[in-house]
Amino acid sequence: MAGSHDYDYVEAGTVDVKDLPPLDPTTNKIMKDEFTTGFGLTVLYFIFIFSIPVMNWFAPAFAFKKIWGGMTVTWFVTTVVMMAMAFVIAFVHTTLYEKRLKKYEMTNK
Amino acid sequence: MIEALVEPKMMLTIALMGTIVYITYLTKRNTTASDFFVGGRSFGWFTNGSAIGGDYLSAATFLGIAGLTFQLGYDGAYYAFCFSIGLTLLAIFVAGPLRRFGAFTVADFLAYRFHSKRARLAAVLVVLAISGFYAAPQLLGAAQILSMFFGTSYEFGIIFTCIVMIFYVGIGGMKGTTINQALELWIRLGAFIVMLIAAMYGGLHYDKILTAIHSFSGPITGTSPYALDGSDINFDGAAWTGTGFYFPTFWQTISMTIGLALGTIGLPHILLRFYTNPSAKAARKSALMAIGIASAFFLLAVYLGVVGRAIFISGSASEEVMRDLVLGGNNMVIPTTALALGGDWLLGLVIAGAFAAIFSNLSGLFITSSGALAHDLYATFMKKDITQKQRVIAGKVAIVILGVLYGALGLLVKDASIGHLVALAFTVAASTFTPIFILGIWWRGMTEKGAIAGLIIGLGVSMWMIFLPGTLPSFLQFKIPGIVTVPVGFLSVIIVSLLDRKVPADVNDFMKRVHSKESETV
Repeated sequence: MAGSHDYDYVEAGTVDVKDLPPLDPTTNKIMKDEFTTGFGLTVLYFIFIFSIPVMNWFAPAFAFKKIWGGMTVTWFVTTVVMMAMAFVIAFVHTTLYEKRLKKYEMTNK
Repeated sequence: MIEALVEPKMMLTIALMGTIVYITYLTKRNTTASDFFVGGRSFGWFTNGSAIGGDYLSAATFLGIAGLTFQLGYDGAYYAFCFSIGLTLLAIFVAGPLRRFGAFTVADFLAYRFHSKRARLAAVLVVLAISGFYAAPQLLGAAQILSMFFGTSYEFGIIFTCIVMIFYVGIGGMKGTTINQALELWIRLGAFIVMLIAAMYGGLHYDKILTAIHSFSGPITGTSPYALDGSDINFDGAAWTGTGFYFPTFWQTISMTIGLALGTIGLPHILLRFYTNPSAKAARKSALMAIGIASAFFLLAVYLGVVGRAIFISGSASEEVMRDLVLGGNNMVIPTTALALGGDWLLGLVIAGAFAAIFSNLSGLFITSSGALAHDLYATFMKKDITQKQRVIAGKVAIVILGVLYGALGLLVKDASIGHLVALAFTVAASTFTPIFILGIWWRGMTEKGAIAGLIIGLGVSMWMIFLPGTLPSFLQFKIPGIVTVPVGFLSVIIVSLLDRKVPADVNDFMKRVHSKESETV
């Protein structure tokens, strides 16, 4: 059965968080790299996301200015640009992740 | 009778049902718990990506987003945008680690993270709460669609849909559910693409119709026979393309954005789908594909809402179309626009798509909740020496119990707002599982007590703010209270964990499992 994990309730006990041994260097580096990339992309994404309501409420003259036919700046950004942005951010994240994965594999070899 | 059967809407709906039955029959062999609950972890990125899209894009999305755009204009489009954000965050922070972990249910994650039955129990409670509040409006939508297009009663619609779900999920398990969900996604997307082509062929280009709507102000001809006061309905195009219709303040808008954006990460039926991939790489690709599909879907939904509004204000549509747009409510916009653009066959395709949306989403909720009942409750607390076969049988019995339970919920919410109940599910998910999964995957300092406190406090506060807003001061009354409940969820976990400090002794092993490259294919 591919990928099954038959876990049991093994009593692992608890330790005070200050007595926790450090993570092994490889896992620590992987987590750090992955989190840094993900966090950076998320911050960028959320700047784009929250810039829309900020623009709509605090700069309505610009936000509701027509740029193409009846399409305003905010309509275009909300319904076209940001839909594409969701995919772009996820694509960049996946691509960077795959690259790092290859790098780790090369290092291990 | 025969005339009714040869109507396109009837023929296409019967064809959809027949396909579901056939796929369910083909996938009925579920010999192990892995087969039944996670489809043997055999689905590649294309099938699973389509199924995630099918799970995510519910009837509320298929019919509701275009309806909201039709009614609210820009605010409806913004609503669609907020729904589109969450999958990206899920792909970034959760998809890969969750697959590397590779269990059966959402509650498994907490149970194994802390070796704790209490944590599992708290997670089951939240899974059932979210799924219940998500399933009830889907059943409400199903009953309304059956009533609108086939003239059946509300009660019949609920019972019929529950019976279909019991058969579909109970027999097919996760295998049948996944294949059906993938197929149903493409039926919906196909319907939208055909509508796009028909609209473009009819000269309804985006910029052109937005210009026409924006510059329109006054009564809409052809609406008076159906209006309550007998006079033509007034419409202000400039206000429709502006903001402030639905969310009257900046902070209400931000609160909705937070609730909807972070809710997706915590939706149990979406999280569960990442267990069905054969590897973490396939899970990431599935998420990416689902995001692409969802983005295209939301973009098309908004455009079709605009097309519906353009047809409506032109006043040149048939009497039937004008009547349905006035009387049918927002959820009728997609079917009515389909009728105006392509006649009965396109309407039939849209109706089949609407059923596909309901079945697809409900099946995801049924399989997730059955895992919570059979795997997390029954097999863990009641019958510990359970065999694989008994586990599958327990899953099937759970589906029947859920059919009755969700059916009863569906009957209770007859007069509720679909959008509000779905928003409730998103808000509860954003305030409970989202903090747990993000912190559980990335922070070693999260403790069992912290996790349980986060789930219980997040659930309680979101329920309070949604159901009893009148008991709160006005500045805390939000339509979607994500701005308060999500920070409360995160802070509860963090504060209680910092006070408790007792982390599992093997937390490093857990982190290695969910993050290390060796676990890419497990």
